[in-house]
Amino acid sequence: MKPDSPKDINLRDKKVIVIDDFFNFRLTMKNMLRSFGVMYLDDATNGEEAIRKMAVRKYDIILCDYNFGQGKSGQQVLEEGKFRGYINYSTIFIMVTAENSLEVVLGAAEYQPDDYLVKPFAKEVLAKKIKQHIERKENLRDIEKTLAADNYSEAIRMCDALIAQSPRNLSEILKLKGEILLKKGAFPEAEEFYTKILLMGNVPWAMIGRGKTCFLTGQYQEARNIFEDVIAKNDKVMTAYDYLAKTLLKMNNPRDAQEVLMRAISISPRAIIRQKNLGNIAYRNEDYCTAEVAYKSTVEQGKYSCFKSPADYTNLAKTMVQLNNSEGGLNTLDAARKIFPDDDDARLYVSVTESYIYKKMNKDFEARKAIIEAQKIMEDLGGEIPASLKLELARAYIITGEKEKGTEIIKHVIRENHDEKEILEDVRVVFRETGMENQGQKIIEETRQEIIRLNNVGVNLVQEGRLTEAIAYFEKAAAHLPENKIINANAAQVLMFFMKEKGVSGENLNNVKTYLDRVRKIDESYRDFPMLLEMYNELVGESGTNNSG
Amino acid sequence: MIGKMDFSDVLASTLHDTKNSLGLLFSNLEDIIADCRERKCPSHTDFYKLQYEIKRSNLCLIRLLSIYKAEKSQLAINVDYHSIRDILEDMLTQHEFLLNTRGIKIETDCDPALFWVLDRNLIAGVLDNVINNSFRYAREKVVVSAFMENGYLGIRIEDDGAGYPAAMIFNEKNNPEFKKEVDFQTGSTGLGIYFSTMVAGMHKKNEKSGFISIANGGKSGGGVFSIYLP
Repeated sequence: MKPDSPKDINLRDKKVIVIDDFFNFRLTMKNMLRSFGVMYLDDATNGEEAIRKMAVRKYDIILCDYNFGQGKSGQQVLEEGKFRGYINYSTIFIMVTAENSLEVVLGAAEYQPDDYLVKPFAKEVLAKKIKQHIERKENLRDIEKTLAADNYSEAIRMCDALIAQSPRNLSEILKLKGEILLKKGAFPEAEEFYTKILLMGNVPWAMIGRGKTCFLTGQYQEARNIFEDVIAKNDKVMTAYDYLAKTLLKMNNPRDAQEVLMRAISISPRAIIRQKNLGNIAYRNEDYCTAEVAYKSTVEQGKYSCFKSPADYTNLAKTMVQLNNSEGGLNTLDAARKIFPDDDDARLYVSVTESYIYKKMNKDFEARKAIIEAQKIMEDLGGEIPASLKLELARAYIITGEKEKGTEIIKHVIRENHDEKEILEDVRVVFRETGMENQGQKIIEETRQEIIRLNNVGVNLVQEGRLTEAIAYFEKAAAHLPENKIINANAAQVLMFFMKEKGVSGENLNNVKTYLDRVRKIDESYRDFPMLLEMYNELVGESGTNNSG
Repeated sequence: MIGKMDFSDVLASTLHDTKNSLGLLFSNLEDIIADCRERKCPSHTDFYKLQYEIKRSNLCLIRLLSIYKAEKSQLAINVDYHSIRDILEDMLTQHEFLLNTRGIKIETDCDPALFWVLDRNLIAGVLDNVINNSFRYAREKVVVSAFMENGYLGIRIEDDGAGYPAAMIFNEKNNPEFKKEVDFQTGSTGLGIYFSTMVAGMHKKNEKSGFISIANGGKSGGGVFSIYLP
């Protein structure tokens, strides 16, 4: 039972990159790797260069330093790589560090590397680690390909086949299977699966999986209990806090949600997305002091992160205004201009917020000027801007006296998002802050009802079996509301019903794909999405057999 | 702004530093040994004893730090579903070389389909300590095996040495309460046993907790250390 010696690893076809700021260390590392037989060997001196190279070439093995003095940290390289899809299940990411205090830094991080290496290390140790991980990950490659093609059922079958062989990375495959079950929307199966694993012990990822299943099926109380239990057992499992906060928001308990995120941040402050979420929730809760601290951290941590956004700056500026620090707000906007010099979205965010701040300072002329600027950028962009920005624009119009214009924009946002709780909550905040609370509530309700009616008319057509009319109806509705996920999901579904009855056509399949892509883009975890995707894949399968037959 | 530091925190951060520099020392020594070997210098085997001692001190410090964290309630148990064979083979690769320099062979014996929910780092810490001790006490063989017993996972380390001294024996025969917490006050137990018992006890399932046992005899006639996890 002796493990093989390092000589046996075949690294000839593996693409490897070494990321470190010290020339000597890169050299040593590359010499080691060459002696193992590595042929494709790249290096990078910092995180930015690494990401650029990762965009061009898909690496199998990434050896990355943790601390670069300046620029992205090793952790940010890992996060960004995963976020952009350069690093996936089968990629081996090993974090290299000079110090041993890693557990403090990374113990609480969401994205964990596959392994750590503490400098200096022997050649044999590196060889052993690489070999182990290659062996462990090899069996994930095919599943990954199947997943990339959205073929969930097949991916699950592949997991089951592997699980039956008890491979060394059994835990990783079990984890993956659970994730696929949830993606597929197979909730009863997912629940059974996680419950079975939990019989063997309280494995945190299985508890979280169980909790997610409850969350996605609307059993919020149960989900809440589970996430709280995870935290009680190990308060360093940070994902549990994020899900607990999400659950509490669904339970209309934003105060407790804020509390939970604040606890998470006191344990693991270096988490930009969580800081953003905390800022947003605290702002809605009118706790501007907490919001300010959270947004400041977001801006600070965003400097070298792919998760930075102009909204971080404008949110901070807005919060400062609420705290009667208009000057600070304007300075923050200046900083945003420098960080995003040629970005139209950013210019729009900044101008809109600027007009809001000037208005608050009673500088009407400057406020007007800013909003005219915003309008110009908006026209250049052709209306393709996120809902949060549209709301900011609306707010700016309303407070600079163009109430009609602002309200129209808000109505449009409601129409596109009539079922999105959080966005509607933001709409409410805008109305509240512009002194239109009661009138706003009425607008929200009426506009929501308008879309619900619109949708129901289409649904009725389907129920009456008037499919051709329903298709035309939803096609028009979706063209009118390209960002409304329910309308687009229904447009896809009715077309698929039609194809099931009358046969598959390439053009209709294409249209379905367009609708489904929109739905996915709007809300990746939309409950009905897996079911629609499954239906679509079946139809694609049928069209394939038809063509070949 | 400098606040007053808690002495135990000072101690912990010093432990950390010392542990890191020992780590450096260990790998520097490895380079020297490699160099010596190449030049056929006869004394290079003497260095192994040094390496063993460094490793021992390093493991002691890791243990101390874990106990410190447990005291401060910072030590959370981090379990996953692990391949036991994988853990044992990891142990083997880590200790094999040093043990071989003393003519001691190390073997593992484990069903590849054996998986268990446990904290890998903590359990590895316990096993590391015991196996490293074999460098001094084993004659020529150490066997690390894993098995199922009464719904517990057992991991056992046996050697062919003279066995544990009577004062260290710790099992159902000499101590009916051995499955419970150790009484650290009596001073009869060493830090190693304290740490192992603590780690075992942190593993809980359905009201059952893990425990350890220390005995003599076994298949190789020497010391037998076992840890049981529910």
